[in-house]
Amino acid sequence: MSRRRAVLALLAVCVLGCLAENAQGQALHYERPVERAPQEKDIGGGYVTPKVQKPLPRRAWLEILDVALLAAAMGVSVWIVVKRRSRRWLVALTVASVGYFGFYREGCVCPIGSIQNVTVALTDPNYHIPMVVTATFFLPLLVAVFYGRAFCGGVCALGSIQELVLLKPVQVPRRLDQALGLLKYVYLAAAIWYAVLPAAQRDFVICRFDPFVSLFRRSGFAHMLALGAGFLVLGMFVGRPYCRYLCPYGGLLSWFSRLAARGVSITPNKELDCGLCAEACPYGAIEEMRAVRRKCLYCARCYAACPREGPLVKAFVPLGEVR
Amino acid sequence: MSGPGLKNATIAAGAVMVLSVVALAVDYAVMRGWTPASDAQIAALQEKVQRDAKLAPVLAAEQKRIAEFNRARRARVNWLSLVLVGAAAGFLGGAKRLLAGQARPPVRVPERGPSAVWPRAGRAVAAQAAAAAPEIDLTFVDGLIEKEGRGAEAAIPILQAIQAHYRYLPDEALRRVCHLTEISPAQIAGTSSFYSRFRRSPVGEHIVRVCHGTACHVAGARQITDELRRELAIAEGEDTDPSRTFTVEEVACLGCCSLAPVLMVDEHTAGKLTPATACDALAAVQPGERA
Repeated sequence: MSRRRAVLALLAVCVLGCLAENAQGQALHYERPVERAPQEKDIGGGYVTPKVQKPLPRRAWLEILDVALLAAAMGVSVWIVVKRRSRRWLVALTVASVGYFGFYREGCVCPIGSIQNVTVALTDPNYHIPMVVTATFFLPLLVAVFYGRAFCGGVCALGSIQELVLLKPVQVPRRLDQALGLLKYVYLAAAIWYAVLPAAQRDFVICRFDPFVSLFRRSGFAHMLALGAGFLVLGMFVGRPYCRYLCPYGGLLSWFSRLAARGVSITPNKELDCGLCAEACPYGAIEEMRAVRRKCLYCARCYAACPREGPLVKAFVPLGEVR
Repeated sequence: MSGPGLKNATIAAGAVMVLSVVALAVDYAVMRGWTPASDAQIAALQEKVQRDAKLAPVLAAEQKRIAEFNRARRARVNWLSLVLVGAAAGFLGGAKRLLAGQARPPVRVPERGPSAVWPRAGRAVAAQAAAAAPEIDLTFVDGLIEKEGRGAEAAIPILQAIQAHYRYLPDEALRRVCHLTEISPAQIAGTSSFYSRFRRSPVGEHIVRVCHGTACHVAGARQITDELRRELAIAEGEDTDPSRTFTVEEVACLGCCSLAPVLMVDEHTAGKLTPATACDALAAVQPGERA
């Protein structure tokens, strides 16, 4: 319990740091000097330089709506998994998330890429991030401390699209799974390294190599589109390859979700030890008949496969009659 | 939609998906070849315009043409990609349904009647039901009483012998004992229910002793017993399956804790069990082998 408190305190400090950064950022006046272009006096003839045009930011209330929707989607995800225990509902949520966070919002702002923005904001005094990015980054971590990787399931657009293409999952051998799983921590370290570099060499690698964002936008570099398509084709047979082996935010979430007390649970008190749930899990997240919080991606397939869950129960003898 | 209709629709969606991918790829490849050429054209025109201002409208027209072309291309790609997303959704949805229909295992419903796992035993039950309760041959009891005597002190040896002969204490045999000896029904009832070795209900052909000693308990003996009872369709409060093939007993210790969880089927021992392998252990004795 005290460990969880320490983690929550750490999260709070980071959030406060980002908010302070944000407040400071609001106070800064920004103007790009136009010096290199021909000036009015050089052009002559009464020419007036037009005002510097900046793209308008997304309206504030829409940004707040985005954060609210993110929070609501995670709340619904937790509710479906903990209370409703239904795969069908979760698929509906997944489709909605791909539609909104993916194709409508075009995969941005996402917590995965915001790792680097938050890192830069915390290390570089000249860099500021808006409140929306702060909230987007920390909300899923906060939820993970209590309920595990609720964000991964039906909320994350990148995860959701892979979730939907999964057709015929093969079980990745455990050793290989573990070894590949380490890649995401390497990626996380590289992302942080590229973020703390001085501004000139800084590189937002996570967003640059986001395999699905160009699919959501239906435009982008050909190699990124091909990479995204490749991940999706691979994802038809290997469950969510990006989430499990590459996603740096997945690495963070799996650390935080170790503290989670609730989440996907295999029918306590009425299980049959039949192992159908472990067979159904495409992510190898069920070990010894228990869902492993740090691996569980909230897809609820185990519920769908369980003879003791949902509509199938009706086909069975009432619970009292079978010991 | 189901069956062939679903299959055809899925194949059609897959074809549309592949076609739109091919179209997008071809479009991309053509554009890659085309763009540098038009860039060079524009650059050349711009150079000419710098020398001869009269050519400016030609340059403007060319630039407009390229802009229009790019806009049209952008719209085309947008439409194609929307078609691709729609077709992919249709294909995946259909394919998932088809695969689910293929792979769905039959729902295992634990039956209340004859065990589904031991069909031979199930037939035996049907035969038994047809023949009603079999008559018990009581001549053994008569002979036994002649040998053991008729006094109350002979109660336990008589009960032991009856159990050894019939494998349980049939009510008819006990009534016969009361009838022929000085032993009272109350004494028989008391003795036979006090000692757990005596049993009043028929025993199955094979006795399965599941160890519930400390080591086996910790290693999951409860789950093993539960699984066996479920698989054999043993009703609550009973210990023998409806076909009287197996009697499942919980015993204290079988003396091989290193094999925990362990069970014995008659004289065969099976260790290091899991709920999945518990029922395989029963196959050591074929059901109905002694029938």
